[in-house]
Amino acid sequence: MKRYVLVRALYSVVTLWLLVTIIFGLVRLTGDPVAMKAEAGADPAYVAQLRHRWGLDQPLYRQYVGFVGQLLRADFGHSFEKSLPVRDIYFERLPNSLKLGFAAFLISLALGVPFGMLSALKVNSMWDNAGKVVALLGLSMPGFFVGLVLIIVFGIELGWLPVLGKGSSALVGSAPSTWVTFWFRDWGHLAMPAFALGWYFSGAMLRITRSGMLDVLGSDYIKLVRLKGVPEPMVVAKHALKNSLIPVLTFAGLNLLVMVNVSVVIEVIFNWPGVGQLLYDALSNRDFPMVQGVVLMSGLLIVLLNFTIDVLYGYVDPRIRLSR
Amino acid sequence: MTRGLLPLLVALTLVATSCGEAAAQQAPILSGALTKLDIKPAQIEGRGTPKGTLTIAMHFALDPGWLDPLEHSYAITQMMYDYLVHDTMIKPMPYGYVTYGLAEHAELSADFRRAAFRLRPGLKFHDGQPLTTADVKWTYENFTGAYAKVFHDKLEHVQVIDDRTIVFHFKEPFIDFMDLYNGGVSGIGWIVPARYYDKAGRDGFKAKPIGAGPYKLVGQQAGVQMVFEAFEDYWRRTPATKTIVVKGIRDGAARMAGLQTGELDVAFGMTGKLLPRLMSDRNLRWDPNFTGPWWLMFPGYNEQGSPFRDKRVRQAVSLAINRSFLVKQETQDISKPWGNWISGENRDALQGPEAPVPEYNVEKAKQLMKQAGFPDGFEVEYLPFPPYFDMGERILTDLRAIGIRGKLQSLEGPAFRAKIGQGRKGVPGNRTIVQNIDPRAGGSKANIAVYAVCGSTASFVCEPSIEALWAKHQASLDPVERERLVKSIQRILLDDYYFVPIYLNSFVHGIGPRVLPEGKAVTKYWDTLNAPYPWPWEVWEVKADR
Repeated sequence: MKRYVLVRALYSVVTLWLLVTIIFGLVRLTGDPVAMKAEAGADPAYVAQLRHRWGLDQPLYRQYVGFVGQLLRADFGHSFEKSLPVRDIYFERLPNSLKLGFAAFLISLALGVPFGMLSALKVNSMWDNAGKVVALLGLSMPGFFVGLVLIIVFGIELGWLPVLGKGSSALVGSAPSTWVTFWFRDWGHLAMPAFALGWYFSGAMLRITRSGMLDVLGSDYIKLVRLKGVPEPMVVAKHALKNSLIPVLTFAGLNLLVMVNVSVVIEVIFNWPGVGQLLYDALSNRDFPMVQGVVLMSGLLIVLLNFTIDVLYGYVDPRIRLSR
Repeated sequence: MTRGLLPLLVALTLVATSCGEAAAQQAPILSGALTKLDIKPAQIEGRGTPKGTLTIAMHFALDPGWLDPLEHSYAITQMMYDYLVHDTMIKPMPYGYVTYGLAEHAELSADFRRAAFRLRPGLKFHDGQPLTTADVKWTYENFTGAYAKVFHDKLEHVQVIDDRTIVFHFKEPFIDFMDLYNGGVSGIGWIVPARYYDKAGRDGFKAKPIGAGPYKLVGQQAGVQMVFEAFEDYWRRTPATKTIVVKGIRDGAARMAGLQTGELDVAFGMTGKLLPRLMSDRNLRWDPNFTGPWWLMFPGYNEQGSPFRDKRVRQAVSLAINRSFLVKQETQDISKPWGNWISGENRDALQGPEAPVPEYNVEKAKQLMKQAGFPDGFEVEYLPFPPYFDMGERILTDLRAIGIRGKLQSLEGPAFRAKIGQGRKGVPGNRTIVQNIDPRAGGSKANIAVYAVCGSTASFVCEPSIEALWAKHQASLDPVERERLVKSIQRILLDDYYFVPIYLNSFVHGIGPRVLPEGKAVTKYWDTLNAPYPWPWEVWEVKADR
């Protein structure tokens, strides 16, 4: 098992190194950030000074070595556009994205799983058809469209919910009292963006729950349970549901990561100060350190999650670790 | 008896104070002949109690770097934050383009080799520390932002006479010093506290800046929001609004929704498709500002193979554009057709009868195209200023009428600016039309220096006739002659159609119902010349918080 974990860890490190190298190269293909920052007519001395300050006057290999060296010290450098350390800005934004992502995740589960179960249990009925329509709408109506409709109805016309930002609650690492208030305050601000983001994923969740449930309900062991005379609610709740949720949870885990890291459009529409909007701004302004930092942190989360899953698989299923 | 004496004493004190100020203004700092300066006195207004919260939406992400004048960029946006947190020696205000700020008196020697300032008494930074000439000297010497090289190369030494009096000695005549030192042009005159800056460092200062301006920063989330509180000891007046919140909201629809729900009080960048919605909402008001005209440029016009090498083609482009229709379609008739590529807010810009609105005459344009050898027209690339792509399409429709068929290139704002910043080099080929706008402070000469002289990095015009006049301008120490030369250069640029002006754009901001005064008088906030944002902020009033 130890060797298996070591091998998986090594794979993770190589993956991260590849990501570091690729993002370092790709971001530099987008153009010269100095030309973007220096306005028309900027004198060459000012331009040269900016280039020097940002380390862009160094040869590429030196920039790369410097970048990797910084990463080893957990330093992502300074944002070109926001003039502060990338790490500070990223960790200021991450809790907001986590809050939005978790809320959207819960909404997608709350909508997708019960409707999916209902569709499977009442297959080809009116309920099933309604479920199919919900799934179709979820997948075909993009989040930004749902978001704009919500803004017009609940924000502007009814005036029930605020349309901008995340409210005043902030997570301050050094103040434990904020840890609770951050998660449980300003729900009015969270409601619409979380619904708009969760709505899109709920359609897919519904379909996966439905098909998983149908597979399980048609399996031999469920037939046996029914033959033994177990009441139907018990069949569903105790025997079918748990097994049908395995693919749903795997899918949901990946969805959660996507919701936290790339909910760019929803964050822009609702001016939600998350990581997605940070990445969007950074890309628009050729803010190399910020793009590198955000992509690497997202990559790190995904690599860590995959590593954890691999290790857990190896732990629960010895065939996997022995086959490697 | 006491009741009768009190008003008399107060009156005498006021007279004595004002006399003292006048005397201080007249007491010379420099010996010898002086240049006549046109600097308006500061209007010192009343004390009071700030109230309410003003929430402002910018149309892009916020940069904490804007809070540090030492690294002042060329971007005029930064001045919005200068006017909030910091204060400068001289600056544009609604009552004059050059007015006294921290300085109550300035002198410039007749040979332009010495400049002197006297600070007003009792100035303080937000932390209560006094603002002295040591801070002015330190700011100058440590300034690394736009125009830093000019300031440092010209400087011989700084002489601090006392806590309030300072003299800059230059190695050679520095005729543009007062223009460039103006807070509306560069960042070097916005004074930072030397000791605090040294202690906090560059990052620390950006995170928690201290200045001498009307507002102090009390909180920020990088890129998202900045919160400012009134600095009640501000020398000119007590700021009227207690709290100003600035948010960065890129999405126009989100800004519009914020105004409609009352979450925002002021939103910038409400032009194009947002404008009719803004104008039709009874609860909202709008305020246009005319700091910059649109104009067209022809990169590589003077190269072999460019159809724009022929003046008649450039003139045909100008004749084909229906400016009145564009103004109506694009800006609901708010903007003004305009005959110059420089705003009329610049004193030395040709305007009115000197630069009439160009004629719209498609038939004449067609004839010119025929005479120039292009009866069937030709194809071009068209580079519109983002996000004004609709306007670009409309101009292309006009040009199609004379056979010029264009392909629109849509770029993001920063990418477009990066191209334009490189001038001719940034736009490959010589069959491209660039649509630009640049509300630049510093007078017409600043615009010419950037776009119309050969040596500039952003140059789009390089003509011997202009170079000769520009060389004379740079060598001249006579302000009257310099203005005449600047006007002559504009004349050439317009008469030869190197630049084709379109209309004076109305930058519109939306205003919510909480901003005072109610009704149309709210437009008073945008009276500062050459200001793309409605500063100064200490005069903004809102209803008290509920």
